[in-house]
Amino acid sequence: MAATGQVKDFTATMGWARGGRSSLRSTNLIRIGLLLGMGIGWEALSRSGLLFRDVVPSLFSIWAAIWKLVMNPAFYANLQVTAWEIFASLAIGGGLGVAVGIILGANRFLGAAYEPYVYYLAPTPRIIFFPVMIMWFGVGVASKIALGALSCFFTVALSTAGGMREIDKVLIRVGRSFRATPWQMAMKIYLPAMRVPVLNGIRLGFGTATVTALLAETKLSNQGLGFMIMQIYSRFDMPSLYGLLIIVFILAGVGNLILGKATGTSA
Amino acid sequence: MTLASTATTGAPSGQRPQLVIDKVFKQFGVGPGAVTAVDHVSFDVKPGEFVSVIGPSGCGKSTLFNIIGGLLDEYEGDVLIERERIAGPHKAVGMVFQEESTFPWRNVIDNVAFPLELQGVNKSERLDRAHHFIDLVGLKGFERLMPSALSGGMRQRVSIARTLVSQPQILLMDEPFAALDEQTRLLLGDKITQIQQDLNQTTLLITHNLTEAVQLSDRIVVMTYRPGKVKRIVDIDLPRPRSSDVVSSDAFGHYVAEIWADLREEASRGMADSESARRGGSRG
Ligand SMILES: Nc1ncnc2c1ncn2[C@@H]1O[C@H](COP(=O)(O)OP(=O)(O)OP(=O)(O)O)[C@@H](O)[C@H]1O
Ligand SMILES: [Mg+2]
Repeated sequence: MAATGQVKDFTATMGWARGGRSSLRSTNLIRIGLLLGMGIGWEALSRSGLLFRDVVPSLFSIWAAIWKLVMNPAFYANLQVTAWEIFASLAIGGGLGVAVGIILGANRFLGAAYEPYVYYLAPTPRIIFFPVMIMWFGVGVASKIALGALSCFFTVALSTAGGMREIDKVLIRVGRSFRATPWQMAMKIYLPAMRVPVLNGIRLGFGTATVTALLAETKLSNQGLGFMIMQIYSRFDMPSLYGLLIIVFILAGVGNLILGKATGTSA
Repeated sequence: MTLASTATTGAPSGQRPQLVIDKVFKQFGVGPGAVTAVDHVSFDVKPGEFVSVIGPSGCGKSTLFNIIGGLLDEYEGDVLIERERIAGPHKAVGMVFQEESTFPWRNVIDNVAFPLELQGVNKSERLDRAHHFIDLVGLKGFERLMPSALSGGMRQRVSIARTLVSQPQILLMDEPFAALDEQTRLLLGDKITQIQQDLNQTTLLITHNLTEAVQLSDRIVVMTYRPGKVKRIVDIDLPRPRSSDVVSSDAFGHYVAEIWADLREEASRGMADSESARRGGSRG
């Protein structure tokens, strides 16, 4: 907080603030221009008849489909299911990830013994565990939560363990010299010292949980936004499909933004 | 006043030592690359006494400091507090570290109140007591600032206040004044002496500053350059209560000259050692 304040003062006194603001305005212009250009290009392609009809539907029909979707109660029911899956995955996987990350990071021997497994497992696509999860938890919400939790567990555990190792060792000695209990050490030294890497891990975990939940829903499910996407796809209702994709894109962006604001880590 | 009549060592002689360091030995590593950091160091500190350990850089002072603080437990020999061998950090001991050790996520007052928070002292009392020690180290008005907004010397004073607030019976300090300018060092030294005498606090100061050691101590333990052994123990019979004015007295000058002769020998051994290590390194 203090640091950003100082930077602002500094740029203000150096007369950079003006330049900064106007360059921000010009990047916004470029962005809007790009969106406009893409929209016009899309519309032109749609009307040219070069591609299959409906593969590139008119922007107006997409807009109408979005409107229809947001008025549809089924959309909210599915949204709620997906949101719950993401939230529960993040709570379970993220919570366990922080705990295991702390243990691996704090304990040199455990870390050396188990961290390689976490590293090897982290990049494997978690969707391959989906059949197992279905066998264990059924085709409903529980199997998606289990898969989502599994996915963000690795992300959060690795960034927490990394953050743990970056802690200034003298701060740990300070805590020990004041005879802090293990709980006090965790809450008053380790966690605040690792705030930034842990929160970044949780944000990455949110992304992984979202991807996993939607992916799993498109594979096998009977509710959720992913299920809705596949339903629309099976009807070959292209305007609604694009409309829903745009909505999901915006929701994920907003979710990430809120999490970023709440945790004080910038995008 | 004659020196002899006021040669109090802060505690009546014959009193039982509160802190005993008995043949402490610590080696880092094994085999030919092993470094002996502390080699059979023995001395003791009586209640209320102010003892300094002085020695050249790299002689094992911080290692000894961490052992006495209970933060390093693989060593030979014994550290006794009230005649009991320590097992981990002892509740009577408060430590001030050589390294930068403020919590960057806490402002000044919350940094200082940290030990009280651990003890479960309620908030208003905690802040009261923290204010008192912030004032004492000359940081009044800086309570709400974050450590990143302070100078290195100010941060070090925050660390000192944080340890003092817990009112340890035995205060251990590892070069706490190293980041301070000479004037602040002398003045803060006065404050520490004053607290130490008011509370009759047993203090062990690790330093490589000779003036500081003579100004503050009842006794000085001079260590040799690697391996760190006790070269000599010097009693400082300067009058108490003592202030920084003592540095201009003749007796003070005698002590400094006497200890410097020992220290110069060790320091030049240290310099020669690192010099040859450097040459050996560049050749190989
Ligand atoms: N964890 C460690 N592993 C290996 N060697 C160490 C370790 N800690 C200290 N040493 C070695 O032990 C010796 C003594 O170090 P120490 O930090 O105790 O010196 P010091 O007297 O405090 O020096 P300074 O005055 O510069 O702080 C040094 O040679 C150092 O390289
Ligand atoms: Mg040291």
